[in-house]
Amino acid sequence: MQIFLQELEALAPLSVDDRLAILQLPMRLRRLDAGAYIVREGDVPKHCVILIDGFAIRQKLTGQGARQILALCIPGDAIDFQNMFLDISDHAVQMLTRSIVAEVPREAFQEIVMTRPAIGAAVIHSTLIESSILREWVVNVGRRNARARIAHILCEFAVRLEARGLASGEGFELPMTQEQLADATSLTPIHVNRVLKTLQAEGLISRQRRRIEFDDWRALQEVADFNRRYLHVTSEDEVVAAAL
Amino acid sequence: MSDVHPLDPLVRRWSKYRSFSTGDRNAIRELPYVRRTFGKDAYIVREGEQAGECSLILRGFAYRQKLLSDGDRQIISFHIPTEFVDLQNGVLGIADHNVQSLNHCEIAAVSRSAIIELADQRPAVRMAMWIDTLIDSSIFREWVVNVGRRDSRARIAHLLCELVIRLQRIGADREGLFDFPLTQEQLADATGLTAVHTNRTLQSLRREGLLQLSNGILRVLDWEGLREVGDFDELYLHQQV
Repeated sequence: MQIFLQELEALAPLSVDDRLAILQLPMRLRRLDAGAYIVREGDVPKHCVILIDGFAIRQKLTGQGARQILALCIPGDAIDFQNMFLDISDHAVQMLTRSIVAEVPREAFQEIVMTRPAIGAAVIHSTLIESSILREWVVNVGRRNARARIAHILCEFAVRLEARGLASGEGFELPMTQEQLADATSLTPIHVNRVLKTLQAEGLISRQRRRIEFDDWRALQEVADFNRRYLHVTSEDEVVAAAL
Repeated sequence: MSDVHPLDPLVRRWSKYRSFSTGDRNAIRELPYVRRTFGKDAYIVREGEQAGECSLILRGFAYRQKLLSDGDRQIISFHIPTEFVDLQNGVLGIADHNVQSLNHCEIAAVSRSAIIELADQRPAVRMAMWIDTLIDSSIFREWVVNVGRRDSRARIAHLLCELVIRLQRIGADREGLFDFPLTQEQLADATGLTAVHTNRTLQSLRREGLLQLSNGILRVLDWEGLREVGDFDELYLHQQV
């Protein structure tokens, strides 16, 4: 739960009591295999689930069976804060890797966010950032070309992982297959493969298995039309300014 | 029930989510606000702005959009009366997208501090606001699917179905007719299509007898048919909460 606590504290200052209240939430740790579903569309969830270790994706299927991936969940993310107040899950969440999750009963979670204003504020903040990321994904699949879409998603994952201390600025281990990348960017796997090769040939990234290294981070951001504002994380400039 | 106060429609919409006490209702009605009017396509909020207020639509339509560096535009949602267009700015502070009026639009601008104070003092209202933003997220998820994985016919039909349901919910249904001020260009920017493609798709939906759309009035002739073409399931609008 420590990683979840850190994530909340980055969003709102918590008191000692708030911290204790989170650590004392009734919960059950579960280990899940890659491919396992934690919630399916149409389910009536009884728990709020926090991803402790591993990666997961949110997804929806169209009536024709096409899959669209909607978000990548990383350690420290709540997988379904929305189920606190919305009764029926409107999408599915599937594990990308072997994972550990903490399941907190819905009522216990509702109570803590309603009775502890600082925790409530942090949780609201977190759900609003998630919403902002979704807006950017609408833009990504709606109006960017294939090259920019892939570059954009790589930039986003890099910044999010780095902000949570899960990657360095140089690169990261991409927890997705090319097929999954395709479903996140509304492309075909062949197209994704071609774009990754192009980005590599242009000297923007290098790849070794799932590892992505940023050889030219600035140029990659430019190709991606990437502006980290929508992630609402403190930017490097602000960190530098605060340190001075 | 006739509205005596301009904020009553908001009270009514939010009170569908949670039961409000008289005190809750009055606290919403007592929100201090400034009435602002906007002509067509005026900016209500600009990306990057430090947002000092949240805007509730009293009359007219608005939309959220983002501009790409090459000048392309993606519309990310449409908004109708009784809805806030930027409740998230109360918390996030900096606007991460633009909001524009779609037609002649009347807004109640509420200061960020008044929104935060209301949320702090009235837990039931806080929960209703929260549910609002969670439903917004659910709609954004569906839009990612719509522009990402549906064909052009389904995209347009899906968007029309969504707007019809939302307009019905606020009682804007005039015996099957809806005010529909969206231009084909805006429909195109909301579905990731070109204006030409959108025009062709609308014509085909018309020819198949699913709808009529002229002079800013939408009439759905075959709801089940439109739903089917749009692959539309209203679960994501969470009306049952």
